[in-house]
Amino acid sequence: MNRKPLLASALLLTAAAANAQINFPRLPVIVPLGRSQPAPPPAVAPGMMGSPSALQADLVVKSGSDTVYFPPRGDALQPNATATLAAQARWLLANPFVIVQLEGHGDSNDSRDYALAIGDKRASAVRDFLVLQGVAPQRIAILSWGKERPGSVRVGSTFVAAGPRVVTKVVGVQPPVPQYPLPPAQ
Amino acid sequence: MPPLATAENVDTEAGKTWSIANQIAQLITADLKTTTSFIVADSSDVRVPSYPEVTAPAFAQWRAARAKFLLSGFVNARKDGRLTVGCYLYDVQSGREVARQGFAVTPNEWRRAAHRCADTAFVKVTGNPPQFDSRIAYVTQSGRDEQAVKRLAIMDFDGANHAYLTSGDSIVLSPKWSPKGNEIAYTSYAGGDLQVRIFDVAANRERPLLASGRESFGPTYSPDGRTVAFSMSTAGNTDVFTVGAGGGYPRQLTNSPAIDTGPSYSPDGKLIAFVSDRSGSPQLYVMNSDGSNQRRISFGRGVYGSPAWSPDGERIAFTKVEGALSRIGTMATNGADERIITGGPNDEQPTWSPGGSRILFQRQDPGNRRMGLASAPADGGEARQILTPQEATDPSWAERQE
Repeated sequence: MNRKPLLASALLLTAAAANAQINFPRLPVIVPLGRSQPAPPPAVAPGMMGSPSALQADLVVKSGSDTVYFPPRGDALQPNATATLAAQARWLLANPFVIVQLEGHGDSNDSRDYALAIGDKRASAVRDFLVLQGVAPQRIAILSWGKERPGSVRVGSTFVAAGPRVVTKVVGVQPPVPQYPLPPAQ
Repeated sequence: MPPLATAENVDTEAGKTWSIANQIAQLITADLKTTTSFIVADSSDVRVPSYPEVTAPAFAQWRAARAKFLLSGFVNARKDGRLTVGCYLYDVQSGREVARQGFAVTPNEWRRAAHRCADTAFVKVTGNPPQFDSRIAYVTQSGRDEQAVKRLAIMDFDGANHAYLTSGDSIVLSPKWSPKGNEIAYTSYAGGDLQVRIFDVAANRERPLLASGRESFGPTYSPDGRTVAFSMSTAGNTDVFTVGAGGGYPRQLTNSPAIDTGPSYSPDGKLIAFVSDRSGSPQLYVMNSDGSNQRRISFGRGVYGSPAWSPDGERIAFTKVEGALSRIGTMATNGADERIITGGPNDEQPTWSPGGSRILFQRQDPGNRRMGLASAPADGGEARQILTPQEATDPSWAERQE
């Protein structure tokens, strides 16, 4: 490993260029430079980022909701859903350490298999939207619950099944994935 | 149906042979009474025949009782500790033997021998496939909604020999028997991924169907047991795939931009019924088992799901949702002659009895919201509840063939 002296000489060169008025002897030496290295991702312990449940609460506060709803048997994003998802995308870009799982749900009227399929399709529609907003696809996992988790929302004094929806769940934190692969260590 | 005779009343692990013989006779009677093909005289109402009478019945007496068939038999203890259960079916009018079958079983397996004996009579008299030595696989459920614990369970078709197969750590769905009745393909959330897994019932072992089966679900076996058809999501859309039952690289059968799911093979293995929403709502379709010639067969009002091909290949059972009613129906394989056979309001997931005479399905009690199993005659009629220890969904019914 001889990267250290190389970097040191590179720094020296930069310092020389910045300090032009000093009559510095020209260096006819061509320094063989190593390939430039991107800054390694900062290693932050997950504990410093807050627990997934705290992050989930933060997501709900900052983007209005962690849930978007769909019409029965539909997988097209509704206008109010895109507004919520745009806010979620901004939150995800501001919190690049967060890994989410998009959990799609079917309707209790759907047959077992169709509910799983449509839940998956809804979650995929949400993922495509978030990716178009700039969220790295590696940070998004998908799971369909079919009609296994009917959920409940309050309507007046009673609770009813939450119905067709996609919930953005924070499942963990990890250092951000770099935009391009790192060169192999020398 | 007289009680079975025994040559010598001997002690076995499951009790005296004479008491086993009585229980077998009662079980055969109960089996045959589940069908509409027989009027069975209870074994308690008929004279106990002597042992020699089993092979040489007094036909004059049975004719006087206006019996059409006589099912008779014996239970003997063998030297190796097992039982020999013999079973004879006679045509009373002609005095001829119609069928004969012997089984060597361990004493604790006497129920299977009884079911096989009932099958022998049922097959000979009605010409239908056997259906009594059969098992039901289903998902048992405790707790509700978000807290539901779901486990794979099996039982004999009459509710005996109930057993849980999975622990309930992860949600399981939609079990389907292999044609031999020795393996169950099912959907599992084990490890947080939706995936198809295979449970080997005899070995009490399970494995994933695919090495990497993220978002795969809804498996069903081909009739020869060599292939499993299932649904898998790729690039945000669900299509029907097939793969060898031992695993391997899946082959994609459908590629429409709409959802294609819920495959069910025809009994000759040449066709697959499935659900697609390419028309805008979920409807039933049929294609060749290589994916070619896809065509829509359901055109009624409402939406359709969970197709199940009948054992004789003539009809397809389905769930139909129309307004607030979810009911079970059948239709011819070209979509004609649709008949709704249950009243709902929450009936789903039909599966055929091995003989094709009944349809078993999942029913939610509209009052207490309890999920349970019920069966109805395939051509319509009163549904009968099937008792399970806990709430039950997703039935699959198959004859044992090992």
